[in-house]
Amino acid sequence: MNLAPLRRRELLRLGIGLGAGLAGPLASLPWFPRRARAGEADRILVVVELSGGNDGLNTVVPYGDDAYYRLRPRLGIRAEQLRKIDDHFGFPEGMAGFERLYKEGQLAIVHGCGYPDPSFSHFTSMAYWQTGAPHRGEEYGWLGRLADALSPETRSELLVNIDATQSLAVRSRRHTPLVFDDPEHFERMGEFAERELLGFVPRSAGSSPSESYLREVARAALESSRRVREAWAAYRTPVDYGLVSIDLPKVAALIAAGLPTRLFYAAFRNNAFDTHVYQRELHARLLTYASDALAAFLRDLERIGRAGDVTVVLFSEFGRRAAENTSLGTDHGAAGPMFVAGKGVHGGQYGAHPSLLELDAGGNPIHTTDFRRVYAAAAQRWLGLGDTRELLYGEFEPLPLFG
Amino acid sequence: MIPSRSTGGRAPDALLALALVGALASGAMGRHALAAADPWAGDLRPITAKEWSPARASHLLERAGFGGTPEEVAALARLTPEQAVEQALHAEPGPLPPFDPSGIHDPSLEPFPPSRPATTALARERGEAIGVRVKAGGDRPLQPVVNRFFYWLRASALETHRLAYWWAQRMLVSKRPLQEKVALFWHGHFAVHETKVRDYRKLERQLELFHRLGTGSFRELLHEVARDPAMLVFLDAGQNVKGAPNENFAREIMELFTMGPGHYTETDIREAARAFTGWNYRDLEFAVNVEQHDDGEKTVLGKRGRFDGDEVIDLVLEQPATAEFIAAKLYRFFVREELSAELRSRLGVRLRESDYRIEPLLRTIFLSRDFYSRDSRATQIKSPVHLVISTYRKLGLREIPGVPDFNQITAELGQQLFWPPTVAGWPEGRAWVTPGLLMARGNFAYRVLSPDINFVPPDRSPPDPRIGAVHRAIAQGQDITSATLPGDDEGMAMANVMADRDEDFNTRYGSYKGWQQAIQRVKPIPRVTAAVDLRGMVLASGARTAEQAVDHLLGRFLLTEPDPELRRRLIAYLEGELGTGDLTRAESYLEEPLRGLVHLILSAPEYQLG
Repeated sequence: MNLAPLRRRELLRLGIGLGAGLAGPLASLPWFPRRARAGEADRILVVVELSGGNDGLNTVVPYGDDAYYRLRPRLGIRAEQLRKIDDHFGFPEGMAGFERLYKEGQLAIVHGCGYPDPSFSHFTSMAYWQTGAPHRGEEYGWLGRLADALSPETRSELLVNIDATQSLAVRSRRHTPLVFDDPEHFERMGEFAERELLGFVPRSAGSSPSESYLREVARAALESSRRVREAWAAYRTPVDYGLVSIDLPKVAALIAAGLPTRLFYAAFRNNAFDTHVYQRELHARLLTYASDALAAFLRDLERIGRAGDVTVVLFSEFGRRAAENTSLGTDHGAAGPMFVAGKGVHGGQYGAHPSLLELDAGGNPIHTTDFRRVYAAAAQRWLGLGDTRELLYGEFEPLPLFG
Repeated sequence: MIPSRSTGGRAPDALLALALVGALASGAMGRHALAAADPWAGDLRPITAKEWSPARASHLLERAGFGGTPEEVAALARLTPEQAVEQALHAEPGPLPPFDPSGIHDPSLEPFPPSRPATTALARERGEAIGVRVKAGGDRPLQPVVNRFFYWLRASALETHRLAYWWAQRMLVSKRPLQEKVALFWHGHFAVHETKVRDYRKLERQLELFHRLGTGSFRELLHEVARDPAMLVFLDAGQNVKGAPNENFAREIMELFTMGPGHYTETDIREAARAFTGWNYRDLEFAVNVEQHDDGEKTVLGKRGRFDGDEVIDLVLEQPATAEFIAAKLYRFFVREELSAELRSRLGVRLRESDYRIEPLLRTIFLSRDFYSRDSRATQIKSPVHLVISTYRKLGLREIPGVPDFNQITAELGQQLFWPPTVAGWPEGRAWVTPGLLMARGNFAYRVLSPDINFVPPDRSPPDPRIGAVHRAIAQGQDITSATLPGDDEGMAMANVMADRDEDFNTRYGSYKGWQQAIQRVKPIPRVTAAVDLRGMVLASGARTAEQAVDHLLGRFLLTEPDPELRRRLIAYLEGELGTGDLTRAESYLEEPLRGLVHLILSAPEYQLG
C-alpha cells in the first residue's frame, strides 16, 4: 500500500539525471538546479509540426547549386524569384516573414535534419520525431518526457497541446496535457442549477483503466477550461497572422494571460505538406502561411512583452525526394531543414546542407544533423534541463543555438 | 506495490491517487487495480446460454451496433447467445430508403481538373473547361470557368454532408446496425476524404462497397478497394505510370491496409508500385491504361514475376502478417485496445483459415468468453459517431435531428464522416478524449436537449465569413475588385497581399459565385429538432419517484455501476427542480427537469464508456 519507496526512487533517478553532482535531499528537488540560472524557469518552448513531409529543398532553396535545378527542372524555383539570404540560399517569395526574422538574427536554420535508417511513412517517421526516439517503439512523447523531467510533481497546464486530438509528442507518464482546440467551446454548457453537478467528478479511481482515465481528463478540464477561456476572451491582437495561424494566437493568448505553461505543441494539421502532385502553388501557399504565422507570433510576443522568453521549433517528419516526380510533385524523402526562432536564438545557419550529388539509393538527401541535437539544445540550453541523455536515450550534443 | 481493490474500499490518499491515476492515464500499467484478472479474458471459447444475461446482451448491442433501449436489451436477452449473434449478423436491416441525390453533377464536369490553376490553364489552352467557355470579350474572361470550378467544390462538399446524414439515419434505424458499424470500420481503415476526392458520387460508391462486402471476404474487399475510384483519386493512382512510379498507393496498401510496418522493405514498395502503374479511373469506373502499365518482371515480398496489381494484392494476402494485422484491428475496434501477442496470432490464424471471411471471425469474437469478460465490458471509449448515434438510439429517436447539425457535432468531436483527418483514418481509443473534447461531448447532449434558438444551418451559411462580406459589397454595387479586397492593414500577411493578382479572373468572387450556385442546387437538410419525450419515457418505465426516475435513466444510459455520490446528487438535483420527489405530483411539468437530469448523466465521464 505504501508507494513512498517507489516514488523516492523515481525522484532520485530523475534528480540524478537533472542535477549532476548534487547529492542528498537536494537531488529529489529537481527544480532546484533550474533556479540556479535566472529566468530559465520562465522560459517557454513552442514546438510546431508541419505535417505531411515538408519539401525542404523548396523551402530553403539552394539556388547556388546547379544540381538543384537539374533535379528539379520544372519545380525548381528560379533565383530571381527568391528572397536571397546569402549567395547560396533563398526563401520562396511568400516567406517574407522568415526572411525578416533571419536578417534580424532571430531565426536559425538547421540544415539536413534527420536520423539514421529513415522511415518514409508519415506515421512512422512522425512518431519518431514526436517521441524523439527513432526505431524504439517509445510510448511517450519527447515533450511529455521533458515535462516529466522538468517537473516530476504533477502540474496542470505545464504542457499544452492545441489540437482536436492529443499528439503523441505530449504523451506523458506523469502529466495530463491540457489539450483543446477552440477556446470558446472549452466550456460546459448548462443552466445555473446544473452547475455544481457539472463540476463533480467522483474521487475514486474508477472500475477500469478507461474510467480512471476519463475521470482524470475531466478533472484537468475542470481546472483549466476557465483560465483558457478567460485568456482567450481577454486576448486582442492587431497582428495579422495570415490565413492559417497554426493556432499560434491561442498560444500567444495563454502566454499573455500568464498561464504556467512551459511546453506548447501546435500543428499545421492534416498532412497538409504531403504534396505528391501539382505542388508548386500549393507548397508555396503552405510556406507563406507558415511564415506569416511564425513571424506574426513573434511580433505578437514582442507586443505582449514576452518575446525574450519564448523559442519556437518548427519541424516536419521528413523532407521530399530530391528529384521532382513526373506529376509536378515530390515523393516522400528524408532529411529536411528545421527552424528555431525567437529573441533568445542565435540566428544563422547550422549544420551542413546535404549534398545533392551524393544521394542515397532511393534518391534522397542524406541527413547531416541528427534532429535530436536540436531537441537537446532546446531542453538543455533553453529550458535548463541538466542532462539530456535520459530524455533522448543517448548522447546528442546540443547545437549552440542559444546565447 | 499496487493496492488491490478489495483492500482499498476507502478513498486512497491524494498522493496514491495521483500516482495511480497518472500511471493509468498514461497506460503505463498493463493491468488495473482489480482484485484478480478475469479468467475469461483471452478465452475464445463460446459462452453458454446459461451465462447469457441482460448485461451481456446490452454489451453485444453496444459493440455490434450502437446500443439500444432497455426494451431492445430485454428482447435480446430472451434469445440464446447464438441467436443473438445470428441476429446481429443477419437481421433484415429493414426498409432503408436509398440516398436521394440533389442532381448537381453533369458529364461536362468530367474529368474534373485537379486544381484551380489546372482549370484556368486548361481554359486558356482550349477556350473552355468543365463545360464553360471563356468569355467572348470584356473583363475577366475566365471568371465563368472559375465560378464553375468553385461551384462543384462547394456543391460536392454540401452533397457529401447530405450523404453523411443519410448514412447516420441508417445507423440510427437499421435493424442490422452491425452492417453500419462494420462500414464505419472500413471507412476508417480505407480512409479517404472529400476534400481530396471532391466528388460525393465516388464516396457514395465506396460506402456502398463497405455496406455490401463489410462482413464478407477481406480478399474481395481489398481487390475492390484497389479499383475503387475514390481510393484511386485519393492515393494519386493516376500519377503512377510506367517509368515514373508514384509509390503512394503501393505504400499505403502495405503499411495501412494490410501488413503494417516492419513486414516489407522499401524495395518491395517500389516494385509493387510498378505493378500498379497504369491503374486509373474514368469518372466512376476503374480503368487500366495499358500503355502506362509496366509489365516487366518485379520482385515483391520475395517472389519474382511479371506481376500486375491484383497479383501483388494476392501476394500481400499470402503473408501471415496481413491476417494478423486485420484481425487485430477488428478486435481492437470491437473489443478492446490491448490484446496479447498470442491472442493476436490466434485471431490471425482464424481469419486466414476462413480465407479472410470477416463474418466467421466476428461470430467467434461476439460469442467468446473474452468478449464478455470484465476486461472488455464498458472499457471502450465511444467514438464520436458511436456516441451520437447511441445517444439518439437510447433517447428513442427515429430521425437524426437537423438541430444540432450532425456533421458539425461529429466534426467538433473529432470524427466527421467522409472527412477522416489523414489516410490513416481516425486514431481510436483514448485519442478520442481530451479535456476539450470531453466538455464538447457533454455540450453535444445539451444542444440536443435544449436546442439553440439562434441555430444557423451550416449548409446555408458560407464556411468563410469573407464570402458573406463579398456578397454584401457586390449587392451594394461595388465593383468586383473593391468588393473582394481583403483590407489593407499595415503588416498584412503575405498570404493576403499575394491573393488574387490574376487579371483574367477573381478567385474570391469565384468562391462567392460558386457558393451561390451550390446552395441553389443542393437540397437543404431538414432542420427538425430531436423528438425527445423524457416524461413519457420515464412514466412508461413505471417510475413514480425522483429516485426511481434517476435509476431508470442511469440504467438506460450508463453501462457501468454509477458512482453512489453521483447518484445521490442527481436525485437531489431532480427533487430540487421538481419541488418534490413525487413524479405524479410533478407530472405536468416533468419534461424540463428531466432534460436537465439527462444532460447531467450524459456529461458524466462514465457516459463515454461503451
